[in-house]
Amino acid sequence: MIVAISSSLGSLSSLSSLSSLVMAAALLAPEGAPPVQRPVTTPEAGTPAPDATPTEAPAEESSDASGEVPGDGAAEPTSTEATAEPAPAPAEVAPEAEAAAEPEPAAEEGVLHVATERPGPPYYTEEDLAELRARHEVAVESPPPREPARWRCLIADPTCRHSVELQALGGYALRARQGDVSQNITDRWHSARAQYDLWVSLPALVETEGKSRYTRMSLGPKGGVIFSDGGDLWGNLGIAARYWLGRGRWAPNIEVTSALSFKLGSRVGNDVQEERFRMQRGPVGFQADVGFGLGGFGAIVLGGQYDSPLAREDVPEEYRVVSSGMFYVGFRGNILWGGPAAAAVAAHAGTRGAQRP
Amino acid sequence: MISPLLASLLLAATQAHVATPDGEDVAAAPLEAAPLDAAEPAPPDAGEAEPASPGDGGVVAKAADEDEEYGPFFEPDPPSDTSFATQPRKKGERDGKAPVLSVRNGALCFVDGSHCKVSLLADATVAAGLRAPASNKGPDMPYAHFGFRGGFVLRPLMLARRTSSDEGRTRRFTDGWHPWGVGVVGSWTLGTGAVVVEATDDGLDKADTERTPAVRVGLVNQLWLSQRPHAMHLDFTLGGVRSPVLTSGVPLIGTHAEVAFGWGGWGAVYAAGDFLDQDTRVSFGFRGHAIAAGPLVALAILGAALGGAL
Repeated sequence: MIVAISSSLGSLSSLSSLSSLVMAAALLAPEGAPPVQRPVTTPEAGTPAPDATPTEAPAEESSDASGEVPGDGAAEPTSTEATAEPAPAPAEVAPEAEAAAEPEPAAEEGVLHVATERPGPPYYTEEDLAELRARHEVAVESPPPREPARWRCLIADPTCRHSVELQALGGYALRARQGDVSQNITDRWHSARAQYDLWVSLPALVETEGKSRYTRMSLGPKGGVIFSDGGDLWGNLGIAARYWLGRGRWAPNIEVTSALSFKLGSRVGNDVQEERFRMQRGPVGFQADVGFGLGGFGAIVLGGQYDSPLAREDVPEEYRVVSSGMFYVGFRGNILWGGPAAAAVAAHAGTRGAQRP
Repeated sequence: MISPLLASLLLAATQAHVATPDGEDVAAAPLEAAPLDAAEPAPPDAGEAEPASPGDGGVVAKAADEDEEYGPFFEPDPPSDTSFATQPRKKGERDGKAPVLSVRNGALCFVDGSHCKVSLLADATVAAGLRAPASNKGPDMPYAHFGFRGGFVLRPLMLARRTSSDEGRTRRFTDGWHPWGVGVVGSWTLGTGAVVVEATDDGLDKADTERTPAVRVGLVNQLWLSQRPHAMHLDFTLGGVRSPVLTSGVPLIGTHAEVAFGWGGWGAVYAAGDFLDQDTRVSFGFRGHAIAAGPLVALAILGAALGGAL
């Protein structure tokens, strides 16, 4: 910019000399400058700043036409250079530069002319914001928030940040167990499955509409117990995820769970011991399922479970456990509205009719 | 031109200390709080501007919160532009931060929370792991248990601040928060039985038990990781366990240790160990609050009874 000034004048020999002169002018300026200058907006925006025009402003505008006054008045705001400029330059070169940069001398002392606003950033006023909204097709008024969920998020809802859910599952199970390995036999039988879990759903993915926030995906720990025929009881602990496909109270969603499952007990007996529920050990297996639900109320679930074998050489044969598992399809939901709880208990009671080979 | 901020700083420096008639040296103008226009030197023609403080150029320099209690600690959460329509906590007495199922704005919580001073603990658990007997007592075997736990935790430093009610500080400090909690817990679990296999001159001597009950008492230290509702926290528990050792049928006392990672008071996953003579059990489990687990346990017992398991 300074180079532009020097080239337009053609009288400066080097950039350093001009810089030093301008610096000297700035240091001496307060003596000759008016006591205080305040920005005053004048009606005629194109009027050039007489004595406080920043050095940069004319340099930018006059690069092609030397000394031409900025027509749109797009001058810099008040700056330190602006107040320091009007001092008479002590050096012999300074008057020429000043005369070229400020072709019209000061008309009135103590008045700083500020340029009018021009379109473009930064945006401050309501008109600016309205223009931005129109450009990006943003609604002026943010949409009203959806009505909050009831039950303090004990039934999951997209308007909930966290939710603590009591889930019950009841459904059909196709169970299988390793049979005689020498003959490649696998025992299969029809049964039922009842599962009671506690979910702690945490917001994993959150989206905003207006000033309202919604959970798009929740993820959190879960744990509980699983029952099937013959008094089989497993514990499980794992994670449960839910992806919301909408924001309404009955929004559809996809549920995915996976967990470690482990045997806790079963109803067993033999010739020596009477048959009753006893603790029973087993290695840790896993279970996983996927469901399609409506709201946090219920979902149709399809999944499977695998129980690992315990067949180490150092374990006596009577304590070994064969591998087993099940595929299941059922209805899972929050017990607070009753339906899933009834389904789970009914499925649990239905295990009485299962015929285990 | 001197910028308004620089002008205000210079003025504040010139009147930073003013001697009162009593000889006390007080800070007359600690910080700029007046509008920036007021901090700028008045124009010569602004004679009608009344100087608020004679002798200092007519500039009022006073902190905006000079007359209020101010501290850097435990400020309430700043308001957010966006929010969930459903709030996770009930409206508190003052700021809406009262934890759920609590009384007196978190003075006592029935479900542990970030802003609870004293909390009751009651939960149910399932866990699976490994039972490792002494090397001459047989192989390692799978181990699992279910059980129940109860106790309480408190935040000593939150309680201590609550009592410092001098100079009107009670209101601010009752809304405080501290990451450390300490408490006492006791638990009972019913685990799978033990298997002992010993080599003797006559061959293998095998024995087993049907179940393994255990009772534990421990000191729990909590470290809360944030102030959010359902905040995550680490729990470290050290204590003792009394349980039958292997197949002896003799209950001995051993050491119990546990590290848990919890979400509020509703749920937690944990890794625990019971270290007894020749009998070590390590397990990884999940526990849920009794308010949530209670209905599930009731349903499970009902279903088991109807299904003929009991």
